[in-house]
Amino acid sequence: MKESKRTLLLIGSPRGPKSTSESLGAYLLKKLQGYGLETEKVYIYPSLRSDEGRVILLRAVESSDLLILSFPLYVDSLPSPAIAALELIAEHRKTSKKPKSQKLLAIANNGFPEADQNDTALAICSRFASETGIEWVGGLALGGGEAIRGRPLDEAGGMARNVKKALDLAAAAMAEGKSMPQEAKALMAKPLAPIWMYVWFGNRRWKSQAKKHGAQNKLFHRPYQK
Amino acid sequence: MKALVLYGSKKGDTTLDAVSNFTSYVLRSIGYEVDVIFLHDLKIADCTGCFYCWVKSPGVCVIDDDGRDIAMKLIKNDLVVYLTPIIFGGYSSELKKVLDRQIPIVLPFFMKINGEVHHKPRYERYPCLVAVGVLSRPDEESEKIFATPVSRNAINMYCPAHSAGVVYSTDSSGILQDKIRAILAKAGVGR
Repeated sequence: MKESKRTLLLIGSPRGPKSTSESLGAYLLKKLQGYGLETEKVYIYPSLRSDEGRVILLRAVESSDLLILSFPLYVDSLPSPAIAALELIAEHRKTSKKPKSQKLLAIANNGFPEADQNDTALAICSRFASETGIEWVGGLALGGGEAIRGRPLDEAGGMARNVKKALDLAAAAMAEGKSMPQEAKALMAKPLAPIWMYVWFGNRRWKSQAKKHGAQNKLFHRPYQK
Repeated sequence: MKALVLYGSKKGDTTLDAVSNFTSYVLRSIGYEVDVIFLHDLKIADCTGCFYCWVKSPGVCVIDDDGRDIAMKLIKNDLVVYLTPIIFGGYSSELKKVLDRQIPIVLPFFMKINGEVHHKPRYERYPCLVAVGVLSRPDEESEKIFATPVSRNAINMYCPAHSAGVVYSTDSSGILQDKIRAILAKAGVGR
Protein backbone atom coordinates (compact mmCIF):
# COMPACT_ATOMS: atom_id res chain seq x y z
CA MET A 1 0.00 0.00 0.00
CA LYS A 2 1.40 3.41 -0.97
CA GLU A 3 1.30 5.58 2.14
CA SER A 4 3.62 8.49 1.35
CA LYS A 5 1.88 10.07 -1.58
CA ARG A 6 3.71 13.30 -2.19
CA THR A 7 7.46 13.56 -1.79
CA LEU A 8 9.61 16.67 -1.47
CA LEU A 9 13.36 16.56 -2.02
CA LEU A 10 15.24 19.35 -0.26
CA ILE A 11 18.76 19.85 -1.59
CA GLY A 12 21.02 21.26 1.13
CA SER A 13 24.18 21.84 -0.89
CA PRO A 14 25.50 25.20 -2.14
CA ARG A 15 26.39 23.46 -5.41
CA GLY A 16 22.67 22.83 -6.03
CA PRO A 17 21.99 20.84 -9.21
CA LYS A 18 25.73 20.13 -9.62
CA SER A 19 26.11 18.53 -6.20
CA THR A 20 26.46 14.94 -5.03
CA SER A 21 23.45 15.66 -2.79
CA GLU A 22 21.51 16.19 -6.04
CA SER A 23 22.96 12.98 -7.59
CA LEU A 24 21.71 10.95 -4.63
CA GLY A 25 18.39 12.72 -4.14
CA ALA A 26 17.48 12.86 -7.82
CA TYR A 27 18.10 9.13 -8.26
CA LEU A 28 15.84 8.35 -5.30
CA LEU A 29 13.18 10.74 -6.58
CA LYS A 30 13.20 9.06 -10.00
CA LYS A 31 12.72 5.66 -8.35
CA LEU A 32 9.83 7.00 -6.27
CA GLN A 33 8.22 8.39 -9.42
CA GLY A 34 8.45 4.84 -10.78
CA TYR A 35 6.28 3.77 -7.85
CA GLY A 36 3.72 6.38 -8.83
CA LEU A 37 4.58 8.96 -6.19
CA GLU A 38 4.29 12.65 -6.97
CA THR A 39 7.58 14.46 -6.42
CA GLU A 40 8.92 17.97 -6.08
CA LYS A 41 12.41 19.40 -5.55
CA VAL A 42 13.50 22.57 -3.75
CA TYR A 43 17.03 23.98 -3.43
CA ILE A 44 17.52 25.32 0.08
CA TYR A 45 20.29 27.87 -0.59
CA PRO A 46 18.48 30.06 -3.15
CA SER A 47 15.15 29.59 -1.33
CA LEU A 48 16.46 31.18 1.87
CA ARG A 49 17.69 34.32 0.11
CA SER A 50 14.25 35.91 -0.16
CA ASP A 51 10.91 36.04 1.67
CA GLU A 52 9.26 34.68 -1.46
CA GLY A 53 11.70 31.76 -1.57
CA ARG A 54 11.03 30.94 2.08
CA VAL A 55 7.27 30.98 1.47
CA ILE A 56 7.66 28.65 -1.53
CA LEU A 57 9.84 26.31 0.53
CA LEU A 58 7.33 26.19 3.40
CA ARG A 59 4.40 25.64 1.02
CA ALA A 60 6.27 22.75 -0.61
CA VAL A 61 7.00 21.26 2.81
CA GLU A 62 3.38 21.69 3.93
CA SER A 63 2.01 19.88 0.91
CA SER A 64 4.32 16.87 1.24
CA ASP A 65 3.88 13.56 2.99
CA LEU A 66 7.51 12.49 2.77
CA LEU A 67 10.43 14.92 3.11
CA ILE A 68 13.85 13.90 1.85
CA LEU A 69 16.77 16.06 2.93
CA SER A 70 19.96 15.45 0.96
CA PHE A 71 23.03 17.39 2.07
CA PRO A 72 26.83 17.36 2.31
CA LEU A 73 28.59 17.18 5.66
CA TYR A 74 30.09 20.56 6.49
CA VAL A 75 32.36 20.82 9.52
CA ASP A 76 30.87 17.73 11.18
CA SER A 77 27.24 18.78 10.80
CA LEU A 78 24.71 20.05 8.29
CA PRO A 79 25.65 23.17 6.31
CA SER A 80 24.35 26.34 7.98
CA PRO A 81 21.53 26.97 5.43
CA ALA A 82 20.26 23.41 5.88
CA ILE A 83 20.06 24.02 9.65
CA ALA A 84 18.35 27.37 8.94
CA ALA A 85 15.77 25.54 6.79
CA LEU A 86 15.07 23.08 9.62
CA GLU A 87 14.73 26.02 12.07
CA LEU A 88 12.27 27.66 9.66
CA ILE A 89 10.20 24.48 9.20
CA ALA A 90 10.12 23.86 12.97
CA GLU A 91 8.97 27.41 13.64
CA HIS A 92 6.30 27.14 10.96
CA ARG A 93 4.97 23.84 12.36
CA LYS A 94 4.70 25.46 15.81
CA THR A 95 2.36 28.08 14.41
CA SER A 96 0.26 25.61 12.39
CA LYS A 97 -3.06 24.76 14.03
CA LYS A 98 -2.86 21.12 13.04
CA PRO A 99 0.55 20.19 11.59
CA LYS A 100 0.30 17.53 8.93
CA SER A 101 1.47 13.99 9.63
CA GLN A 102 4.77 13.72 7.75
CA LYS A 103 7.86 11.58 7.45
CA LEU A 104 11.53 12.51 7.10
CA LEU A 105 14.39 10.69 5.43
CA ALA A 106 17.89 12.20 5.32
CA ILE A 107 20.82 11.44 3.04
CA ALA A 108 24.21 12.73 4.16
CA ASN A 109 27.39 12.54 2.13
CA ASN A 110 30.88 13.65 3.06
CA GLY A 111 34.34 14.15 1.60
CA PHE A 112 36.05 11.70 3.94
CA PRO A 113 35.96 8.04 2.98
CA GLU A 114 34.22 6.89 6.18
CA ALA A 115 30.41 7.01 6.04
CA ASP A 116 30.08 7.07 9.83
CA GLN A 117 31.56 10.57 9.96
CA ASN A 118 27.99 11.60 8.99
CA ASP A 119 26.46 10.08 12.14
CA THR A 120 26.22 13.32 14.13
CA ALA A 121 24.51 15.14 11.27
CA LEU A 122 21.96 12.36 10.91
CA ALA A 123 21.38 12.38 14.70
CA ILE A 124 20.57 16.10 14.38
CA CYS A 125 18.07 15.35 11.57
CA SER A 126 16.47 12.64 13.69
CA ARG A 127 16.23 15.04 16.63
CA PHE A 128 14.63 17.69 14.40
CA ALA A 129 12.02 15.12 13.43
CA SER A 130 11.22 14.15 17.01
CA GLU A 131 11.03 17.80 18.17
CA THR A 132 8.65 18.74 15.37
CA GLY A 133 6.41 15.66 15.49
CA ILE A 134 7.61 14.34 12.14
CA GLU A 135 8.17 10.60 11.83
CA TRP A 136 11.86 9.76 11.33
CA VAL A 137 12.12 6.94 8.81
CA GLY A 138 15.92 6.84 8.87
CA GLY A 139 19.09 8.18 7.36
CA LEU A 140 21.55 7.06 4.72
CA ALA A 141 25.23 7.96 5.05
CA LEU A 142 27.72 8.00 2.19
CA GLY A 143 31.46 8.43 2.61
CA GLY A 144 33.69 9.69 -0.19
CA GLY A 145 30.82 11.52 -1.89
CA GLU A 146 33.32 13.86 -3.55
CA ALA A 147 34.20 10.98 -5.92
CA ILE A 148 30.72 11.21 -7.48
CA ARG A 149 31.26 14.93 -8.12
CA GLY A 150 27.63 15.71 -8.82
CA ARG A 151 27.25 13.32 -11.75
CA PRO A 152 23.96 11.48 -12.23
CA LEU A 153 24.47 8.08 -10.55
CA ASP A 154 23.80 6.27 -13.82
CA GLU A 155 26.87 8.02 -15.24
CA ALA A 156 29.12 7.43 -12.23
CA GLY A 157 30.20 3.94 -13.25
CA GLY A 158 30.70 0.84 -11.11
CA MET A 159 31.64 2.71 -7.95
CA ALA A 160 27.99 3.83 -7.60
CA ARG A 161 26.67 0.25 -7.77
CA ASN A 162 26.03 -0.13 -4.02
CA VAL A 163 24.75 3.44 -3.75
CA LYS A 164 22.10 2.73 -6.39
CA LYS A 165 21.16 -0.56 -4.75
CA ALA A 166 20.76 1.24 -1.42
CA LEU A 167 18.53 3.89 -2.98
CA ASP A 168 16.49 1.22 -4.83
CA LEU A 169 15.81 -0.46 -1.48
CA ALA A 170 15.03 2.88 0.15
CA ALA A 171 12.57 3.78 -2.63
CA ALA A 172 10.77 0.45 -2.34
CA ALA A 173 10.48 0.86 1.44
CA MET A 174 9.24 4.47 1.18
CA ALA A 175 6.66 3.52 -1.45
CA GLU A 176 5.33 0.90 0.95
CA GLY A 177 5.32 3.34 3.87
CA LYS A 178 8.02 1.40 5.74
CA SER A 179 11.13 2.55 7.62
CA MET A 180 14.58 2.57 6.07
CA PRO A 181 15.80 -1.01 5.65
CA GLN A 182 19.03 -1.86 7.48
CA GLU A 183 20.36 -3.34 4.24
CA ALA A 184 19.99 0.02 2.47
CA LYS A 185 21.98 1.75 5.23
CA ALA A 186 24.72 -0.90 5.06
CA LEU A 187 24.99 -0.73 1.26
CA MET A 188 25.16 3.07 1.24
CA ALA A 189 27.88 3.01 3.91
CA LYS A 190 30.15 0.74 1.87
CA PRO A 191 33.28 2.62 0.70
CA LEU A 192 33.15 3.69 -2.95
CA ALA A 193 36.80 2.68 -3.29
CA PRO A 194 39.52 1.32 -0.98
CA ILE A 195 40.43 4.02 1.53
CA TRP A 196 44.12 4.16 0.49
CA MET A 197 43.02 4.73 -3.14
CA TYR A 198 40.54 7.47 -2.21
CA VAL A 199 43.23 9.26 -0.17
CA TRP A 200 45.86 8.89 -2.90
CA PHE A 201 43.59 10.16 -5.69
CA GLY A 202 42.18 12.88 -3.44
CA ASN A 203 45.63 14.23 -2.55
CA ARG A 204 46.67 14.13 -6.22
CA ARG A 205 43.52 15.94 -7.27
CA TRP A 206 44.10 18.83 -4.83
CA LYS A 207 47.59 19.31 -6.30
CA SER A 208 46.35 19.28 -9.90
CA GLN A 209 43.57 21.74 -9.08
CA ALA A 210 46.05 24.09 -7.41
CA LYS A 211 48.27 23.85 -10.50
CA LYS A 212 45.30 24.81 -12.66
CA HIS A 213 44.95 28.00 -10.58
CA GLY A 214 48.71 28.66 -10.49
CA ALA A 215 48.73 28.08 -6.73
CA GLN A 216 50.80 24.89 -6.56
CA ASN A 217 53.67 26.61 -4.74
CA LYS A 218 51.36 28.22 -2.18
CA LEU A 219 49.42 25.13 -1.08
CA PHE A 220 51.01 25.11 2.40
CA HIS A 221 50.77 28.89 2.85
CA ARG A 222 50.13 30.11 6.43
CA PRO A 223 48.69 33.61 5.98
CA TYR A 224 47.56 33.95 9.60
CA GLN A 225 50.66 32.55 11.33
CA LYS A 226 51.29 34.43 14.60
CA MET B 1 46.28 34.81 26.68
CA LYS B 2 43.52 35.65 24.21
CA ALA B 3 40.01 34.24 23.92
CA LEU B 4 37.58 34.59 21.04
CA VAL B 5 33.93 34.16 22.02
CA LEU B 6 31.49 33.46 19.17
CA TYR B 7 27.99 34.52 20.15
CA GLY B 8 25.66 32.36 18.07
CA SER B 9 22.06 33.44 18.60
CA LYS B 10 19.90 35.40 16.23
CA LYS B 11 19.44 39.16 16.54
CA GLY B 12 16.89 39.96 19.22
CA ASP B 13 17.23 36.55 20.90
CA THR B 14 18.64 37.15 24.39
CA THR B 15 19.08 33.44 25.26
CA LEU B 16 22.86 33.77 25.34
CA ASP B 17 23.25 37.13 27.08
CA ALA B 18 23.81 35.84 30.63
CA VAL B 19 26.05 33.00 29.40
CA SER B 20 28.11 35.43 27.36
CA ASN B 21 28.47 37.87 30.24
CA PHE B 22 29.53 35.18 32.71
CA THR B 23 31.92 33.54 30.25
CA SER B 24 33.63 36.87 29.57
CA TYR B 25 33.71 37.67 33.30
CA VAL B 26 35.24 34.31 34.24
CA LEU B 27 37.81 34.45 31.44
CA ARG B 28 38.85 38.02 32.30
CA SER B 29 39.13 37.08 35.98
CA ILE B 30 41.74 34.47 35.07
CA GLY B 31 43.73 36.80 32.88
CA TYR B 32 42.29 36.37 29.39
CA GLU B 33 41.87 39.22 26.96
CA VAL B 34 38.34 38.52 25.63
CA ASP B 35 36.89 39.39 22.22
CA VAL B 36 33.15 38.67 21.99
CA ILE B 37 31.90 38.48 18.40
CA PHE B 38 28.17 38.98 17.92
CA LEU B 39 27.80 36.98 14.72
CA HIS B 40 24.34 38.35 13.93
CA ASP B 41 25.81 41.85 13.58
CA LEU B 42 28.33 40.79 10.95
CA LYS B 43 28.36 40.17 7.25
CA ILE B 44 29.07 36.46 6.89
CA ALA B 45 28.15 34.76 3.63
CA ASP B 46 27.48 31.04 3.41
CA CYS B 47 30.37 28.81 2.37
CA THR B 48 29.90 28.01 -1.33
CA GLY B 49 31.86 24.75 -1.26
CA CYS B 50 34.23 26.02 -4.00
CA PHE B 51 37.40 24.86 -2.17
CA TYR B 52 39.25 27.85 -3.61
CA CYS B 53 40.57 28.45 -0.07
CA TRP B 54 42.58 25.27 -0.65
CA VAL B 55 43.49 25.40 -4.34
CA LYS B 56 43.32 29.02 -5.57
CA SER B 57 44.21 31.28 -2.62
CA PRO B 58 45.46 28.66 -0.12
CA GLY B 59 44.61 29.53 3.46
CA VAL B 60 42.32 32.45 2.60
CA CYS B 61 38.60 32.27 1.77
CA VAL B 62 37.82 34.00 -1.53
CA ILE B 63 34.78 35.70 0.03
CA ASP B 64 36.01 39.00 1.47
CA ASP B 65 33.76 39.49 4.50
CA ASP B 66 33.72 39.02 8.27
CA GLY B 67 33.75 35.21 7.90
CA ARG B 68 37.27 35.51 6.50
CA ASP B 69 38.39 37.77 9.35
CA ILE B 70 37.10 35.36 11.98
CA ALA B 71 39.23 32.53 10.50
CA MET B 72 42.24 34.81 11.00
CA LYS B 73 41.21 35.69 14.56
CA LEU B 74 40.69 32.04 15.41
CA ILE B 75 44.28 31.18 14.57
CA LYS B 76 45.61 34.17 16.52
CA ASN B 77 43.73 33.25 19.73
CA ASP B 78 44.57 30.72 22.43
CA LEU B 79 40.97 29.78 23.12
CA VAL B 80 37.77 29.87 21.09
CA VAL B 81 34.40 29.62 22.85
CA TYR B 82 31.24 28.71 20.95
CA LEU B 83 28.05 30.01 22.55
CA THR B 84 24.88 28.64 20.99
CA PRO B 85 21.29 27.80 21.73
CA ILE B 86 21.13 24.02 21.21
CA ILE B 87 19.15 23.47 18.03
CA PHE B 88 18.04 19.85 17.46
CA GLY B 89 21.08 18.75 19.49
CA GLY B 90 23.51 20.81 17.41
CA TYR B 91 24.65 24.36 16.74
CA SER B 92 22.42 27.23 15.66
CA SER B 93 22.53 28.17 11.97
CA GLU B 94 23.95 31.53 13.10
CA LEU B 95 27.01 29.91 14.70
CA LYS B 96 27.32 27.26 12.00
CA LYS B 97 27.49 29.94 9.32
CA VAL B 98 30.90 31.05 10.58
CA LEU B 99 32.14 27.53 11.37
CA ASP B 100 31.49 26.49 7.75
CA ARG B 101 33.91 29.27 6.72
CA GLN B 102 36.81 27.95 8.82
CA ILE B 103 38.10 25.27 6.44
CA PRO B 104 40.96 27.48 5.13
CA ILE B 105 42.74 26.90 8.46
CA VAL B 106 43.44 23.27 7.53
CA LEU B 107 45.04 21.77 4.42
CA PRO B 108 43.09 19.88 1.75
CA PHE B 109 45.40 16.87 2.05
CA PHE B 110 44.32 13.81 3.99
CA MET B 111 45.93 11.98 6.87
CA LYS B 112 44.73 9.36 9.34
CA ILE B 113 44.01 10.22 12.97
CA ASN B 114 43.05 7.31 15.21
CA GLY B 115 42.33 5.23 12.10
CA GLU B 116 40.00 7.83 10.57
CA VAL B 117 40.74 10.16 7.63
CA HIS B 118 40.92 13.91 8.30
CA HIS B 119 42.51 16.96 6.69
CA LYS B 120 46.11 17.74 7.59
CA PRO B 121 46.82 20.81 9.76
CA ARG B 122 47.94 24.02 8.03
CA TYR B 123 49.30 25.66 11.19
CA GLU B 124 51.59 24.49 13.97
CA ARG B 125 49.20 25.47 16.70
CA TYR B 126 45.45 25.89 17.06
CA PRO B 127 43.27 27.26 19.87
CA CYS B 128 41.62 25.18 22.57
CA LEU B 129 37.88 24.80 22.00
CA VAL B 130 35.07 25.21 24.53
CA ALA B 131 31.39 25.04 23.56
CA VAL B 132 28.53 26.11 25.80
CA GLY B 133 25.06 25.16 24.65
CA VAL B 134 21.88 26.60 26.11
CA LEU B 135 18.63 24.67 26.54
CA SER B 136 15.40 25.87 28.05
CA ARG B 137 15.16 22.70 30.14
CA PRO B 138 17.09 19.41 30.69
CA ASP B 139 16.94 17.20 27.61
CA GLU B 140 19.09 14.09 27.75
CA GLU B 141 19.04 13.33 24.04
CA SER B 142 19.94 16.85 22.88
CA GLU B 143 22.70 17.08 25.49
CA LYS B 144 24.17 13.78 24.32
CA ILE B 145 24.15 14.84 20.65
CA PHE B 146 25.66 18.26 21.47
CA ALA B 147 28.92 16.84 22.81
CA THR B 148 29.64 15.00 19.55
CA PRO B 149 30.07 17.80 16.98
CA VAL B 150 32.25 19.63 19.50
CA SER B 151 34.63 16.70 19.96
CA ARG B 152 34.66 16.07 16.20
CA ASN B 153 35.38 19.77 15.51
CA ALA B 154 38.26 19.52 17.99
CA ILE B 155 39.76 16.61 16.04
CA ASN B 156 39.38 18.37 12.69
CA MET B 157 40.69 21.68 14.07
CA TYR B 158 43.64 20.15 15.94
CA CYS B 159 42.54 21.74 19.23
CA PRO B 160 45.01 20.84 22.00
CA ALA B 161 42.09 20.61 24.48
CA HIS B 162 38.34 20.87 24.27
CA SER B 163 35.16 20.61 26.29
CA ALA B 164 31.42 20.95 25.80
CA GLY B 165 28.75 21.66 28.35
CA VAL B 166 25.11 22.54 28.65
CA VAL B 167 23.44 25.22 30.76
CA TYR B 168 19.73 25.94 31.16
CA SER B 169 18.13 29.30 30.63
CA THR B 170 16.47 28.79 34.02
CA ASP B 171 19.81 28.43 35.87
CA SER B 172 20.40 31.00 38.60
CA SER B 173 23.42 33.31 38.28
CA GLY B 174 25.38 31.29 40.84
CA ILE B 175 24.71 27.97 39.13
CA LEU B 176 25.45 29.44 35.72
CA GLN B 177 28.79 30.81 36.86
CA ASP B 178 29.77 27.49 38.50
CA LYS B 179 28.79 25.56 35.37
CA ILE B 180 30.77 27.86 33.07
CA ARG B 181 33.84 27.60 35.32
CA ALA B 182 33.49 23.79 35.25
CA ILE B 183 33.09 23.64 31.46
CA LEU B 184 36.18 25.83 30.98
CA ALA B 185 38.12 23.79 33.53
CA LYS B 186 37.38 20.57 31.61
CA ALA B 187 39.43 22.06 28.77
CA GLY B 188 42.14 23.07 31.22
CA VAL B 189 41.12 26.75 31.20
CA GLY B 190 41.50 28.41 34.61
CA ARG B 191 42.86 25.32 36.33
